[in-house]
Formats: sequence, C-alpha cells, structure tokens
Amino acid sequence: MSEMVYVIVDETTYKAKEGSLLIDLLIKENIKVPYFCYHESLGADGNCRMCMVEIEGQKRPQIACDTLIKSGMKVRSKGENIQKVRTDILELELINHPVDCPICDQAGECSLQDFYMDYGLHNAKVTIADKVKHSKHVDLGSNVMLDQERCVLCARCTRFTDKITHTHELGIIGRGDDAKVSTMPGRKLSNPYAMNVVDLCPVGALTSKDFRFSQRVWFLQTANSICHGCAKGCNIYIDHNKIKYQDDVIYRFRPRRNDAVNGFFICDEGRLSYKELQENRQEEIILHDNIITEDEALEQIKNLIQEFKNNTIITIDANLYNEEIDAIVAFAKKIDAKVYSPLEIYMDEAFGDDMLKSSNRAANAKKIQNSNIRTETPAKTGLLINFNHPQKFEADETINFATHKGKQASLTLPVAVYSENSGTLTNEDGLIQTCQKAVFKNNPTPTIIEYLIRLSS
Amino acid sequence: MRECKIVSRKFDIKNSHTLEVARLHDGYRTLQKLQEYAPTEIIQIIKDANLRGKGGGGAGAGEKWELMPQNSDKLSFLAVNCDESEPGTFKDRQIITKDPHLLIEGILITCYAIKAHHAYIYIRGEYKQYQDILQFAINEAYEAGLLKECDITIHRGAGAYICGEKSALLESMEGKRGHPRLKPKQKEPEWFFGNPTLVNNVETIASVPFIVQNGADAYREYGTQKSPGTLLFAMSGHVEKPGVYEAEFGTSMMEYIKYYGGGIKNGKKLKALIPGGVSCGVLTAAECENLTLDYESLRGIGSSLGTGGMILMDEDTNMVEVLKNILEFYHEESCGQCTPCREGTGWSDKLVGKILEGNATKEDIDKLLDIANTMNGKTICVFAPAVSSVIVSFIKKFRDEFEDRV
Repeated sequence: MSEMVYVIVDETTYKAKEGSLLIDLLIKENIKVPYFCYHESLGADGNCRMCMVEIEGQKRPQIACDTLIKSGMKVRSKGENIQKVRTDILELELINHPVDCPICDQAGECSLQDFYMDYGLHNAKVTIADKVKHSKHVDLGSNVMLDQERCVLCARCTRFTDKITHTHELGIIGRGDDAKVSTMPGRKLSNPYAMNVVDLCPVGALTSKDFRFSQRVWFLQTANSICHGCAKGCNIYIDHNKIKYQDDVIYRFRPRRNDAVNGFFICDEGRLSYKELQENRQEEIILHDNIITEDEALEQIKNLIQEFKNNTIITIDANLYNEEIDAIVAFAKKIDAKVYSPLEIYMDEAFGDDMLKSSNRAANAKKIQNSNIRTETPAKTGLLINFNHPQKFEADETINFATHKGKQASLTLPVAVYSENSGTLTNEDGLIQTCQKAVFKNNPTPTIIEYLIRLSS
Repeated sequence: MRECKIVSRKFDIKNSHTLEVARLHDGYRTLQKLQEYAPTEIIQIIKDANLRGKGGGGAGAGEKWELMPQNSDKLSFLAVNCDESEPGTFKDRQIITKDPHLLIEGILITCYAIKAHHAYIYIRGEYKQYQDILQFAINEAYEAGLLKECDITIHRGAGAYICGEKSALLESMEGKRGHPRLKPKQKEPEWFFGNPTLVNNVETIASVPFIVQNGADAYREYGTQKSPGTLLFAMSGHVEKPGVYEAEFGTSMMEYIKYYGGGIKNGKKLKALIPGGVSCGVLTAAECENLTLDYESLRGIGSSLGTGGMILMDEDTNMVEVLKNILEFYHEESCGQCTPCREGTGWSDKLVGKILEGNATKEDIDKLLDIANTMNGKTICVFAPAVSSVIVSFIKKFRDEFEDRV
C-alpha cells in the first residue's frame, strides 16, 4: 500500500503514496479545495461534503477526504460542474448561518468567509426570519465561548476531545438542523489543551474568551517563536500589534505546526504565558532603592567585579537563548567566575504529561546540560551576578539582570524577555529551534548580550 | 391470487408467540437438521434461494453472509435490525409479536452459518410493548435450553429513524450517536466494536428457517426469477382493510390491494400510492395500473419497492399536504451529520410549508427542485437521496397542485 504512484490532478501529474488520502495531496500541493471537517490531526469525517472533486470513472463527485490515492487516478478539482456542487453545498451551509461577520471575532481568518469568496457569491435565497435560532453565548469552560448559530457542525472540536485529549467533554446533541455542539449537562470543557478547539474551529463558533474583542485579526502581525513554558519547545506564532506611538503589545499565542515537536497543538498554560511577558516587568535600573543611569550601573558592575576578584559566581536562567548562554559563559571565563544554573527548581512533576507538557519547565535546560555549567546550588559567595535565574542565592553583593520585578539585589538591571529578542533554543530532545523577535518597543530594554558587550568594552 | 404464508404461517394461531404453540407447529424443527450441514453449506442454500434483504434495499442476503469470516480470531456478531421506523412500514412488529420463535430460530441458523455466538436485536425504543413479548419468547428459549450455543440480547434504540441504517445502528449499539459511517472501500462485513458483524432485517432472518427446512428450490417456487420468495407487504392509508398480508413477489399491485385490502376506502378512486415506505417515490394511480410487486418492476418506473409498506391516497388527498407531512418527518429525523441533508431537509420543509400557506412564488417550486438536486448523491448515507427523490417525484407528478397554491 505504501508504493509511490502517479496521479493526475487537473492535467498535472503528481507523485503520491498509494492508499493515502487524496485531500492530503491536494493540501500539500496547494490545490485549492474547500473543507471544514477534515483536519490532518483528526482524520476524515466526511460530514461537511465541501471537498468534492470529480474522479474519472466515477458517476458522481466524490469527497477528497474519503478518496484513497490509486495509481493512474484522474482527478478534476475545478471546472463548472464542481464549482456548482461546491456553491450549492456552501449555500446550504450558509442558510442558517447568522450574518454577523462585522461583530464576529473570526472574521478575517474564517474558512466560511474565504470559501464564500471563492465559491459562493450567490444571492441569498432565504430570509433572515427563516433561520434556525440557537444560543449565541455559551461558556463551555476553559476560556472557550461557543456561538451555536455560527457552527457548521464539522465536529472538529468534538473529535479533538475524543481522539486527541480523550476527555470526551464535547458532543453534538440534537438532530438535523437542530444539532448543536454542547457539553454534557453540568459539565465543562476542562482539559489542559482545551483552547486548541478555538484554532481547530474553522468558523467563529468557538472563540477564545481571552482574545475575543481585543483585536481584529487583520491588524495583527505574526512572528514565529518557541514557547518557553517547558522544555518541550512547542512552536508558536506570536500575534502582536504596535499601534502608532504606542508600545508593541502581544495579543495571543497560537500553535505553529511542527510534526517533529508539537504537531498542531500547544497546551493552554503555554498559550496564555504571553501575559507574563507584559506584566510586572522590571523597568528601571535600581541601586539600593535608587534609580540610576545605565552608565552609572555599568561602572558599578565593573568596580564590584574588581573588588570581588576570585570570589564571584554567575548564575544563568535555563530559559535564556543558546547565544546568551554562550556569551555569558565566555564573559565568565574572562572575569574568572564560576557559572551555575541549578536545574532542580525548574522541575514540576504536576505539570508534565504524556502529550506535550514536560515536567522540566526550563525551555533551554538541554543547553545548560550540554555546556559544562554546574547545575547544583552554589555555596555563599562574595559577588553573585544573576542572569534572571529564579532561585534565591546567598552572596555579599548581588547584581541581578532581571526581566521581572520581585527579587532583592544590590543592583538590578532590566533585561529584554524572549519576545523582544531573537535567538535559538535547544529543546529536551536536542532540537535547536529559532525564535524571531516579535515585540519592538519605543524604548527597548537591553538584551543580555548588549549589556555584556558594553561591559567588555 | 395465490395465498402463500412463509413467514406469517402462524400469525393467526392463538398464543402463537409462546414456545408451546410454536413447537406444536414445527417450530425449531430445522435445528435438528442443522448439524447435517457445514456453515458454508447453509450460506450456499441461502445464496441458491437468492434470499434478498427485506429491510428495504433488497441486496442479496447470502452475499452479505459470505463476507463474514469463517476463520477469525475475532468474535463474530449478528445484529438483527428491528428499528422499523419507515412511515408506512409495520411488518417486523408482526413477526416479533405473532411469531417471535420463528425469528429466534432464524437467528440460531444464521449464527451457526456465520459462526457467531451472540446476536443482538436492535429494536426501536417506541416498540416497548412488542419488545416485552419478544423478551418473553427469548426467556422461554433460554429456559428450554435452546440458546446454549448462542446468546440473544435485545438492544433498545432511543427513537432515531437513522438508526435503521446498518452502520448507524451499530454506532448506536456501541453507545455513540447514531450516525452512518463512511462506506468502506471494498466489500467487507460491518463492524461492531471492531468485530465482524452481519446486519439483517427481522423478516430476512425469519425467512431463513423455511429455506433451510424446505430447500432453496421450495423458496424459489414463489416470486419471480430475480425477486424470489415472499414479502410481508402491507397497506395503510385510504384502504378498506389496512394491514400486513404476506404475498409472493411479482403479484399484481392492484389485485393485491383489491384482494387483501378490499379496495380503496369508501369506494373512492385511487389518486396516488407510495409503494414501500415514504422514502420511495410517489406513484400516480395510472402508474400503478400494470405494476407487479417486485424490485425490478418498481425500479423500472423510477421508484422502489422498499419495505413493501404501501400508503394509499384517494382522490381527495392534497398532495402538497402529503409532501409537507413527509418532509416534516425528514426534517425531524435527519441525523444532522452531512451538510446537504442537515440543512436541505429543514429548508425544503419550510419551503413546502410556505407553499401550503399560499405565501410562495413559482420560483420556490424550482428552488425546491434545486435543493433536491443538491441533496442527491452527495451525502454519506441514502437518507438525503431518498428525500431528494421524494421531492422530485411529488413535484414532477403533481406540479399543478403545487402551482395552484402559489
């Protein structure tokens, strides 16, 4: 069954695995085909009937998601007939769909809108008064809001809770045009991956309580990044927007497909971790409760390093980029300081599971382990230069390079978080992945490397 | 008119549902004979008899049995479809109330042939009182030691029409929503929790004992070449004596109605007839004139024999109202899985409602045909195509009645 064969789609020949799904080939080769219910992570369900194609030798149009590749198969994905079939089915899909795109959060990234532009554009034959009414604000739990009227009943969300999380919270109740997605009475959608249903939903039926009404999606810019919530290294999109004269703001994280790491999904905790990047941030340089300038601070650091020669240690947060860790290690060598990054503090057995969440909450612990850095807690020292490690260490004098407020130190300097900087991370499987800089601030917080360059000059 | 009673032989006997009466009238006789045959020989007999499924589709039963593996590590199951929900159809309930032991006997033979040791009878939820009679008979059979080799369990449905579709039936039996499954790519049995399973209608299974007892040729004595045997045909609607009367395939439709039904109610004229449950396209009285009751003849005029449950309508019937009634049913019963069916049944029901109220335009009639066209051949199961053919047949044959209302 796994033999490679040739098939012809719209006069072009393609190579594909025999017995694989035709729709996978169409998606891979960017051949336009509309679909709601099919999803590569959930398999074929065949309910939306949108992915119709013509197959030579078959009397009727067939759905591509339930057609297996056969050698020599001839497929037509466009043409008058197939266009008509898709238009007709889309029309049925739309007869009970509310016309509330202007207030719908999905607008701009909605499959139904896109398909309407591609295949619909027909004059409505039903009046709004004829439409079936359902509930428009159902709080499913886990930050997921359901609008039953917008739902196209593709069952992606219910299949997600059945096949992926095996938690079975969602189901479809009712028959015919009264069918609707729902939870069991008295139960809520509640699993650590619940918010993925919002991404899976092709229309505006499931929206995120956390994101909805905060931004129109066409204003958002997107950067590719890696979640720093644990050592798994799930690939994400950072969606952010910088309004003129204001600082760049992150509005959401979305999973970015990477079959080698996270597939299509991320956990809810990782998804919501964008908030931490914008809250309680260290803004000023503080020396014993006094705000000082960067020049004064750098001078102070140089003096302290001189004063505590041979009595200085450096601690590194295991969430820093590979490049930052390398730079710190090089700097440590120069000033003859020992480097520590105790990893015990990052372990969280309650967090880990067998899906995507790792008990190791440090995004770059592997790099620390690979870098000849001590991972035990250091003994009391004269001068401690801490690069954002969360643990409390004992020292006569402490210099803290901190992203967030909250730690006592003689001298505290603010540093950029990962979204304000670019770099690479080594995940727990040793895979090196890149994070793009997403956030551009009017007054950028220096990165660790920028400080180190200034200290070395 | 040759009267022939194969399945309904004991229907008129008092207390025919009890084991005692069944035994008095040759009940369970075939079981003694069964050991003389290998399971595959039984299948061959059924194939030779060309027993066709009596649930509506009319596919060959023997061919279906043959798909069951004879040597498999997995358990095999038999699921008897007693979800009889097709409006106009009420024959299976006659079997389970009048001669449940015939069904049990048939189940035992079938299970022997397909090497199954557990049979489920999927009964529609509304049939509670009939289920009790069937359960009584099963209990009797257990007590008499007849069910040592094979268990029989009644599974009660929750009242969804679509669960009469074999794959939806199995989904329902597995505890899921009754949604039809995607069709397999090659010929294979059905699957119940991943185990090979045969799904047959009650009447099909109840026909098995006669065939095994008397041989394939005895069965083929009745009916036509392509549709051998008998069917529990039924009549309802505007007929003097509605009911279930067994007849052989190939019987003249009008003669059957006259002989068993006593003609149209109150001596009126026949206007239209739905031949085998509402999912079969409607026929005009003229079309019925020379029809015979078999699969081929009805297919020949673009309808189908279905379950053989005929609905008769006299000259005073308003066809728009009839279509509205049928579409209301479909609107209620569409499982909601596929888009064309889910939305199409509701929309067409509302449109016919509009026509009935006199608020529609001529375009609405064409719109109906348009929706019917979209529903046809684009869904997982045959529910939507059936609705489509019903709409088309009504509008095509009685268009003037629809136009009178716009």
